[in-house]
Amino acid sequence: MRAMTAILGLSLGLTALGACKIVPNPEPGGENASAPQSDEDRMAAKAGEIYTAQLVPNVSQKAIDLPTLTTALQGGLDAAGQAHGIRPQAEGSPWNFLVKGQGTVVEANRKSRGATMAVDVTGDKQADVTIQLGPVIKGTALRDAADFIVFTDYRDQIEFAKLARALNDRAHQAVQLPEGDLTGKTFRFEGATTLRSATDPVLVVPTLLQEATP
Amino acid sequence: MKLTRRLMISALGLAMTVAMPSFAAAEGTIAIITPSHDNPFFKAEAVGAEARAKELGYDTVVMVHDDDPNKQLELFNTAIGQGVKAIILDNAGADATVAAVQAAKDAGIPSFLIDREIKESGIAVSQIVSNNYQGAQLGAEEFVKLMGEAGKYAELLGREADTNAGIRSSGYHDIIDQYPDMEMVAQQTANWSQTEAYTVMETILQANPDIKGVISGNDTMAMGAWAALEAAGRTDVIVVGFDGSNDVRDSIKAGGIKATVLQPAYRQAQLAVEQADAYLKNGSTGVDEKQLMDCILINAENADKLETFALAE
Repeated sequence: MRAMTAILGLSLGLTALGACKIVPNPEPGGENASAPQSDEDRMAAKAGEIYTAQLVPNVSQKAIDLPTLTTALQGGLDAAGQAHGIRPQAEGSPWNFLVKGQGTVVEANRKSRGATMAVDVTGDKQADVTIQLGPVIKGTALRDAADFIVFTDYRDQIEFAKLARALNDRAHQAVQLPEGDLTGKTFRFEGATTLRSATDPVLVVPTLLQEATP
Repeated sequence: MKLTRRLMISALGLAMTVAMPSFAAAEGTIAIITPSHDNPFFKAEAVGAEARAKELGYDTVVMVHDDDPNKQLELFNTAIGQGVKAIILDNAGADATVAAVQAAKDAGIPSFLIDREIKESGIAVSQIVSNNYQGAQLGAEEFVKLMGEAGKYAELLGREADTNAGIRSSGYHDIIDQYPDMEMVAQQTANWSQTEAYTVMETILQANPDIKGVISGNDTMAMGAWAALEAAGRTDVIVVGFDGSNDVRDSIKAGGIKATVLQPAYRQAQLAVEQADAYLKNGSTGVDEKQLMDCILINAENADKLETFALAE
């Protein structure tokens, strides 16, 4: 039904604009419909619209404790996915998980553009999870772990990829860390991860990262 | 003109029925429309769709639009006139195809798209596309690793009008640009063409004799570039492609090109037929219209398992 309305709106738009090149899939409300924006700008706007309002609370509500995931993975990725994961309906899609936890930084790499920190959650001094700090944040976990973001609603995979990038950028912007060495500090985190196998390292895009008292 | 074409297609359909009497059209006919089979990628799609359709009890009619939207529209009209049950399509243009798919929908014929999207949803029943962005990132990660995270490289771009050219390039750069010691010395289009890639590679090589790697937007250009590098005695240059063709597989096995990224074209076509079958029988495919299928990295470790755009288990 929503799709039908969208098509109707789109065909009306096409008729009205004649030979103009119009960009389909305008934002609800359509305040930007007439402004020629790049895909990147539109998806940045879309990310701004949904990140704080929908995505962060969605992670908070649904995240499972990291050890719950680790234990579930011992029974295989598919079993863990069916119990706790989210994945798009396309065949061959990897599982995505929303996780949370608290732990101590055992290693941090802040020099790289793709900065990360490895965190020990179980207290055995071994890293259980790696948290991406950016500015370059890899993957599409934030987008794909949100069941309210559906590919069909986007014009094409370019737009969809740019949305994932824009969400990652938001996540990076929200990261606020103390200066200097992070090793030994304790953090509480929530975020999303994509796993292609049960033995993949858990690489989390954080939606919440707070220094905590151990 | 239209009549002649229609007759030809009917004759083709008839010939197929006669030639393969065991596949009686109990379920009706599925039309399979793709670009020219000169490119083995599109041939694999047609073969995959046809095989699955026959297994499920359908007759098939296989047609090619040669990337010409007008021809594609004619083929759609032919299929509509024939009263096919469903259309499996690798389309001839994201904008131009909308009208053809709409015409089929208006005639009560559902379309199932593979490989490439159209710029509207709600007209086709399924759009199953390769995740080019994810695939490009895989290819780039392998490229960076092979390059030892440093050195001069060139990028061969696909045809500018094709959205896949842009998205693969941006997927490549999302990864490569994170490595400050990776230096792009040339970025040129070779329009997906093997012969053009050969010439472009020769020129790049003259201007940059110290080049260490080439990342290419598809396999045919990778083959062209590799041929030029071989001719120049520069088989030390690292080449990575995209598509997962048998040609590049053979080159990988022979120690030539180092890696490519498989788009599961064969499976995608089969899946489209399965969804068509489900839709015809139940009125629904049970899945979202638009589906992104992940690509798979192919290198020396798994090249053996690759055959006609499908990876054996």
